[in-house]
Amino acid sequence: MWHITKRELYNNLNSLRFALTTVLLLALMITNAVRHIREHPKRVQKYHDAVVESMNRLTAIADASLYDLAQKGPGDLYKKPSVLHFCAEGGETLLPDRINGGGLGSVQFWSLAYPDANINMMNVGPDISQIDWAFIIGYILSLIALIFTFDAISGEREHGTLRLTLANAIPRRTVLIGKFLGALISTTIPFMLAVLVNLLMLSTASAIHLNTQAWGRLGIILLIALLYTCLFLGLGLLVSARVQRSAVSLVILLLTWVTVVVFMPSTLASLASGFSSSMSRDEYWDRYGQSDRKFRHENHVWARAKGLDERTLRKRGEFFTIMAANKEHLNEGFLTSKITQVQRARASTSISPATLLQHLLEAFAGTGLDRHQQFIENVQRYAREYREFVVDMDRGDPESRHIMGVREGMSQKPVNPEAVPKFEDTFNIGKDFNTAATKLLLLSLFVVVLLAGAYLAFVRVEI
Amino acid sequence: MFLTLIRRELLDNLMTFRFAAAVVIMLLLVVANTVVLINDYEQRLADYNTAVKTHRQELWQESKTYSYAMLGSWGMHVDRPPNPLSIFNTGLDKRLGNKIRVSHTFTPTIWDAKKYAADNPLFNILTSIDIVLIFQGILSLLALIFAYDAIAGEYEHGTLRLVLTHPVGRGVILLAKYIGAMVCLLVPLVMSLLLMFILLTTSAMISLNTDDFLRIGGIVLTSLAYLSLFYLIGMLISAITRRTSTALILSMFVWGFLVLVYPNIILTAVDTAPRTDTESAAYHQVKRIWEEFERESEQFLRNDPVLSAEGWGNYIYGAISDVPSRLVFHSIRRASSDLETIDAEFEPYVPHVQNYFRSFGPLTVNTAERTWLIRKPALETIYVQPANRGRMLLKFSPAGLYDTATEAWAGTDLNGIQDFFTAAQRYRQAIINYFHDEKIFASRQWFSADQRAVDWDTLPQFSFQRSDIGINAKRAVSDLFLLFMMNVFLFIAIFLVFIKSEV
Repeated sequence: MWHITKRELYNNLNSLRFALTTVLLLALMITNAVRHIREHPKRVQKYHDAVVESMNRLTAIADASLYDLAQKGPGDLYKKPSVLHFCAEGGETLLPDRINGGGLGSVQFWSLAYPDANINMMNVGPDISQIDWAFIIGYILSLIALIFTFDAISGEREHGTLRLTLANAIPRRTVLIGKFLGALISTTIPFMLAVLVNLLMLSTASAIHLNTQAWGRLGIILLIALLYTCLFLGLGLLVSARVQRSAVSLVILLLTWVTVVVFMPSTLASLASGFSSSMSRDEYWDRYGQSDRKFRHENHVWARAKGLDERTLRKRGEFFTIMAANKEHLNEGFLTSKITQVQRARASTSISPATLLQHLLEAFAGTGLDRHQQFIENVQRYAREYREFVVDMDRGDPESRHIMGVREGMSQKPVNPEAVPKFEDTFNIGKDFNTAATKLLLLSLFVVVLLAGAYLAFVRVEI
Repeated sequence: MFLTLIRRELLDNLMTFRFAAAVVIMLLLVVANTVVLINDYEQRLADYNTAVKTHRQELWQESKTYSYAMLGSWGMHVDRPPNPLSIFNTGLDKRLGNKIRVSHTFTPTIWDAKKYAADNPLFNILTSIDIVLIFQGILSLLALIFAYDAIAGEYEHGTLRLVLTHPVGRGVILLAKYIGAMVCLLVPLVMSLLLMFILLTTSAMISLNTDDFLRIGGIVLTSLAYLSLFYLIGMLISAITRRTSTALILSMFVWGFLVLVYPNIILTAVDTAPRTDTESAAYHQVKRIWEEFERESEQFLRNDPVLSAEGWGNYIYGAISDVPSRLVFHSIRRASSDLETIDAEFEPYVPHVQNYFRSFGPLTVNTAERTWLIRKPALETIYVQPANRGRMLLKFSPAGLYDTATEAWAGTDLNGIQDFFTAAQRYRQAIINYFHDEKIFASRQWFSADQRAVDWDTLPQFSFQRSDIGINAKRAVSDLFLLFMMNVFLFIAIFLVFIKSEV
């Protein structure tokens, strides 16, 4: 078997396709690294500046009084950029990078508001799809895997060498495994070379710090890439074994590839988006009108009530807190309906291995929609924490009347800014591991099916 | 002999598996996506109709005075209709704003536009597709698949030698091969286009006029040039390598590079994002002009003995000071007013207010013109130049050329979208002229609806027609010409290689 692997390897290493593959992958990976080195520090700087500004604001409010803290809220909360952004861009530029948690000037109580995705209306340039690892692996590496295997069996049959090999009392499965390993190694070599150059450039760049966890995630990403390559190698071997001529084999493979990898994801996504609909903005305003305006209409007298007795204060406090809660609830519902619609469309594209890979890479790189949802959850958890903190602090003040929502009913003392809970966006890979595992299993299933198919096809083939 | 050769090529190609596969895949993809795209277009058209209706309603219900329509928050809007040819090439049609304020205080541009459609903006993270994109990927691939063995295959089988024993020129053989294969490649293209037309005509909402059909003709012509270009690339590779297996692999790499890698790598490597860093300088200039304007108008108010003494100045002037936050949208929200009634005690002041607005209105228009002189070049350097640089770079690949040329035919390129905003600018000018002619600025209805509300139908109405086919053709012709020239050069190159090669 090693003999066959070795022979395959030598055959491939000296071929034109190997040279072209190496050049192509190197060019792509270097571009990817250069771009990341140029863009990432800017992203991180922007994030840090924004966070510092948010902190300053929070400190200023805390110095004023607990009531201000309760009324004005924690301010804008920012999503931390992922250091593995170069692995999968995941539409990060289109997703919002913040959630608003209250402003400065309004008299209303704060509530979480979710800004819309950026629709990029200012940029009149051509559409750009970034060169990230997901693109390189998903599109280029899969194509290369097919180019390395399309003639693995049919080519040998055409030359008559297959007959010679099999005359040597070697079981067919050994021949197939040998060929598979040979093709795997010869696609992996240029890929790994390119990856090494890429990572070398990134790790020497002073502005980018990859910690152990990031390296671990990179390792997993590389394993997924390997699995994905195996899938296309299996497909190549299967078709190559079934088809008499290698040219026909490549034609079939290419057309399959174009359909499955390039066109299927977008077509399915568009189809799915047509079938389900999310809450529209009009509907949102309708509901807003129904719940909020009704409440406001019935209770608006309390908003301007001047009395300082317990009942008036309580009613007024209730008015403001319920308004804020209503608004937040509605915002959340609107956001959820939008995300659900997109998630459904995304799920329907999971039949394509290219999308599976894209999602997996996003999951491990910490970008994309799943990550965004995690960010939203983080913010919501923090919002609860923040509110609990306010209630606790208020309870600790003996002078306060413990009526939430009105200045007169709450503690007026300044709060130690250090004690206020701070938001820090964290990315937890274990959290969504369940979905990632499902997708990983699905990908493995594809690989197993294709390899088994290749084996069966090869065993039955006549030479 | 020539005809015999063509017939042989035709039969050779038509009876192959690759031809059948090509037809099936092509039809499948085109039909599936056309259905989706038509659906999408109909949705956008419905959104457009709703938007037009809502904006008209809002204007009539909320704006009773001229100043409120020009400056208030429910003012006058015009909407950009979706382009039916965006089914072929979406271009910028879907991405850019499609709702624009018409106000005498600023010149409307793409960058001031907003969106009326209420679709889910999160969908942008999923890739979308149009017919040209399918053609771009599939047609080129098919052309290469048909071409890789055109010459190399004949070398290998020795049939070339046989053919050349007949008294035929080598150029004739090449031409026959080219024509034969192109006819075969046309079959899936034409079939998918026919199916598209059938689907398009079944949709009740899509109405295409003759110009649109000519534009589609232009797109088809460009597709042909693109297809032929890739066929010739494949043929050249086939003639040089002389072995089918090498030719096939090399073709695939060339395809991958030209269609898949180059467009993405070049835009990743060269930064073509808007240069927002240069925005601030122009912004400060514009801001200064508006501050000057404000000083001037305040001066006027102060000089007027009646308005400065009473609270009237503040009353009209409002306390809303809308500091322009971006270069792109400068509205001054001041001085909009929709008084329902004017109390008798204020009546004596009305002539003074009218006097004020008589100079204030034209002054606003002039100031807007002055800021436009700064905004126009600034927007050009910030947004248009980087975008054009990106497009220029893309044109080094035939795929990029094809994309820009079809965009120009469809009218979904930057020029096509600009046409709408030029129309909006013209409309704004028409309204200003109307104001001047009818002395609207000095009229009572400018700020008060106490006598009667404005009848909006007396104003000039907005209408927008997509540019006519001649202009589309002019915009597409340079790219189309480049494609044709590439074709000719490649054909000559193949001829030279082929004529020198030994059989």
